[in-house]
Amino acid sequence: MKEIEGQLLHDVDQILLAVMILIIMFGMGASLTLNDFKTVARRPRLVFVGFLSQFGFMPLIAFGLAHVLNLDPALAIALILLGCLPGGTTSNMFTYFARGSVALSIAMTTASTLLALVMMPLLLELYTPGFAREIQENLIAAGGGGEVEFVIPTANIVISLLLVLLPVGGGLVLRRVSRGWAKVAEDTAGFTAMIVIVFLIVTTFARHLDLVRATPWQVYLAAVSLGLTGFFFGFWVSRLFGAQPIYQRAIALETGIQNGPVAFAIILLSFPEQAVQNQMVWLGILYSTFVVISSSYFTLYLRKRGKFDWEVYQNTMIHRRLFGPGYETRYPEGYLPPRIAGDPAQGGLEGE
Amino acid sequence: MKNSSSSRILAPHLAGLYRQAAERYESLPAFATRKKAREWEPISFRDLYERGRALAAGLIEMGVEAREPVGVFSDNRLEWMIADYGIQLCGAVNTPRGTDVTDDDLIHIINQAGIHVAFVETGELLDKIHRLRGVLPELRELILLRPSHKPRSEELLLEDVIRRGSEKLAEGDDRVSERMEGVRSDDLFALIYTSGTTGKPKGVMLTHANVMSQLEAIPLSLSCTDRVLSILPIWHIFERTFEIYAISSGACNYYTSPRTLSEDLANVEPTFMGSAPRLWETLHHRILAGVKKAHPVRRGLFRIAYFLGHHYHESRFFLRDQDLQMRPPRIVVRIPLKCLHALRMVLLLPWYGFFNAAVLETVRRRAGGSLKYTISGGGALPVEIDQFFNYIGIPVLEGYGLTETSPVLAVRPEGKLVCGTVGPVIPGTELRLVDPESGKTLYPDPEDPHGGRTRRGEVWVRGPQVMKGYYREPELTRKVLDEDGWFHTGDLGMVTFNDALKILGRCKSTIVLSNGENVEPEPIEMRLCQSPYIDQCMVLGQDRKFLAALIVPRLEAFAEAGFVENAHADLVGNERARVLIQKEIRTAMGQGHFKRYEYVREFRLLPEPFSAGEELTNLFKLKRHVIEAKYEEEIAELFSPRAGSSPEDKA
Repeated sequence: MKEIEGQLLHDVDQILLAVMILIIMFGMGASLTLNDFKTVARRPRLVFVGFLSQFGFMPLIAFGLAHVLNLDPALAIALILLGCLPGGTTSNMFTYFARGSVALSIAMTTASTLLALVMMPLLLELYTPGFAREIQENLIAAGGGGEVEFVIPTANIVISLLLVLLPVGGGLVLRRVSRGWAKVAEDTAGFTAMIVIVFLIVTTFARHLDLVRATPWQVYLAAVSLGLTGFFFGFWVSRLFGAQPIYQRAIALETGIQNGPVAFAIILLSFPEQAVQNQMVWLGILYSTFVVISSSYFTLYLRKRGKFDWEVYQNTMIHRRLFGPGYETRYPEGYLPPRIAGDPAQGGLEGE
Repeated sequence: MKNSSSSRILAPHLAGLYRQAAERYESLPAFATRKKAREWEPISFRDLYERGRALAAGLIEMGVEAREPVGVFSDNRLEWMIADYGIQLCGAVNTPRGTDVTDDDLIHIINQAGIHVAFVETGELLDKIHRLRGVLPELRELILLRPSHKPRSEELLLEDVIRRGSEKLAEGDDRVSERMEGVRSDDLFALIYTSGTTGKPKGVMLTHANVMSQLEAIPLSLSCTDRVLSILPIWHIFERTFEIYAISSGACNYYTSPRTLSEDLANVEPTFMGSAPRLWETLHHRILAGVKKAHPVRRGLFRIAYFLGHHYHESRFFLRDQDLQMRPPRIVVRIPLKCLHALRMVLLLPWYGFFNAAVLETVRRRAGGSLKYTISGGGALPVEIDQFFNYIGIPVLEGYGLTETSPVLAVRPEGKLVCGTVGPVIPGTELRLVDPESGKTLYPDPEDPHGGRTRRGEVWVRGPQVMKGYYREPELTRKVLDEDGWFHTGDLGMVTFNDALKILGRCKSTIVLSNGENVEPEPIEMRLCQSPYIDQCMVLGQDRKFLAALIVPRLEAFAEAGFVENAHADLVGNERARVLIQKEIRTAMGQGHFKRYEYVREFRLLPEPFSAGEELTNLFKLKRHVIEAKYEEEIAELFSPRAGSSPEDKA
């Protein structure tokens, strides 16, 4: 692949990106409550399935894609890094519209964000050394001499993660102080994310049109496939584990949608080597772009597919809410498909 | 997955429908009554049916005959429905009316229908009937619906009648089943006295076949998982038919009230709601007021979101030919326009998608968040409000009908939602527009190159939902129902080029100014009521030189504008209020919607609002003659030469 001249992201872009990460992570914190942690405790099996999808399958998918598509080592590392990321808050919004369990989605986001501190270094240690060595060999071959050493900066990654967790903590505090402002922070985050991503895409594409053309199809395919395969695995693995439809939808989206901003923070803070950084950022941008589009369509698909069981679920839960927690809604024989016939409330995670 | 629309129950008569609903939906909740905000009491289809059967046995025991009108004087409550089940299962006719019935109407209804047995909701109404006993010779028995009331002397409690009936059933009394088998589909199921805008109430005879045809023809799909929030008076046919529709689909009806509406919307999260335009206006005001109070960021976000929703849906409607087509569509113009709209839609889509998700969804949640669609009927919905709900993603299926037509004649289904119209007539219904003067058919007219579209005429209809006639009023019946079965609605309408019916007003409410110009007051009134400061109003000017309006100010808006006066009467003489309203009228008139002679030149603030049952019908239509009589002096003053000249100069 052709080398990118100079920096892919200008200083202004970098600052913008940093501000965006700050706002988004703050908004993410503002959307969480302590109750979400309790939800995790109440549904260990589902959260385990989510954990398996996110930290088991996703990195493996990324690793596999990198090998099969024979990606440049820097891109391969970026792809694996994207695969190891915790879930993002956008997945919560998509889950809401996909008629999935928002409570589970939030719980998974929360759990994976915390677990990422341990899991990401471990997973990167497991999957990337081969590619890192390749980069080092390339650098030496390029004439860097013996002093060039490229290793995955584990410590830096952990520090970057901790740094992005700071605003999350800030958001959590805000939520406790004022719900109204927390809601504003949440919305602003969503809006900012969209504006900045669009801005970055447009400017990068405008400035580096040659880059768009020079990027081999394998890279595009990798960026698109990571999210799509994640959706697919999340959907079917959770199904195999017997998750009810509303949780199945939540897990599918949570698996495929990664926390892009965290990736940018890590790349910028931990991979200073210019050529490597550029390639990694480029893949990050591509993934972020495609995942928004693919998850929009996937959400519409899930929404349609889940219409019936969602209405059953909602109606049953509202009956319990209004008529008492012990109220049992019995639908006519044969009205419900066998999968939810036994329990129309489908586990009732969001039950009050 | 089952197709929800196919699971609807259809039966030859209501009694059969009630039985089948119990058999199919069994323990599912049929109705829910509010105890507290989050504490509702359900009754299952099975229980409702069993109680109704026992009541029917009790009624038979009391001597209620098949096809006999039984009075039900009550507002919405579960016991109303039990009473109806009882009445239908013993083959009698439900003759309903609300508790706010006036003495005159009550006497008229009971005597004209020949009611022997009546259900009464409240103690007050009982007292009233006792007081009138002397002029109600045929009334024998009263049954009290509200369980909290202790019976005074001779009246029965609903529970007593049910208990007596259950005993009879236990003894093997089979008369209820016999009665049910004896019901024919052209028997009356209800005798509804219309609170018409003129004269004495008329008993509209509606048959089982009438209402059953509605279940087949109304383009809705409800199922066992739907929640219907009910707010209109149940004794009105609009509410009645939709509740029957819900029963046939296995959906649960939740009774709410204007006072608890916001709360109930949030807790019940209804999937369907039918109401009069008034409710949508209130909701619209509430949503906008909520936005106004919100944080500036959110307000800004809402503005952007609404802007996007507006343009996105406008293009979508245009592409699907759901725009208001008042002129013959020309392909040469339409195709390039469609391309532009398609382009605009594509460009807006990602932004609309985001704002729809992040902002409009929270707005929709103010209306519960789960509304799949809503129906507005019983009066014209102002176009602005219509568009507002459709643009924020709550489809409003406006409908049109009368008590005499059980009630739906036309409704716009989701795929043919043309704002500003009531959609095409429902299947099985024929429509004709007739020149009220010459009696000539204006639509459909095969000789006209456009088939008679956009010609204005009186709406005539023929179909399975049209009533049998007015009870014991052959004269009045002949006036509206001709020998060929055409019912003359008295409404003025036209058909657009995409075959949607547009209602223009009542034929009779047309104001003819002294210069001979005809003015429809309704559109002007609707426009005026868009002002936050104007709650209600009536436009007048028959045989006068110009139009004037009687206006009921909206107190909340005045309070927000810093007025200390907090009663309608206090605002009447207030000069500041006068200037403010004057300005509002000028803004309302000055948007190019009206011709010059349609301008409202004078107005009076009224000391008290119009109230339902008095100046308004129970669906909030103006009883113009009542208002004219009540405010005779003010009206005379409005048109006195002194008052007439000054504002004209200013305008």
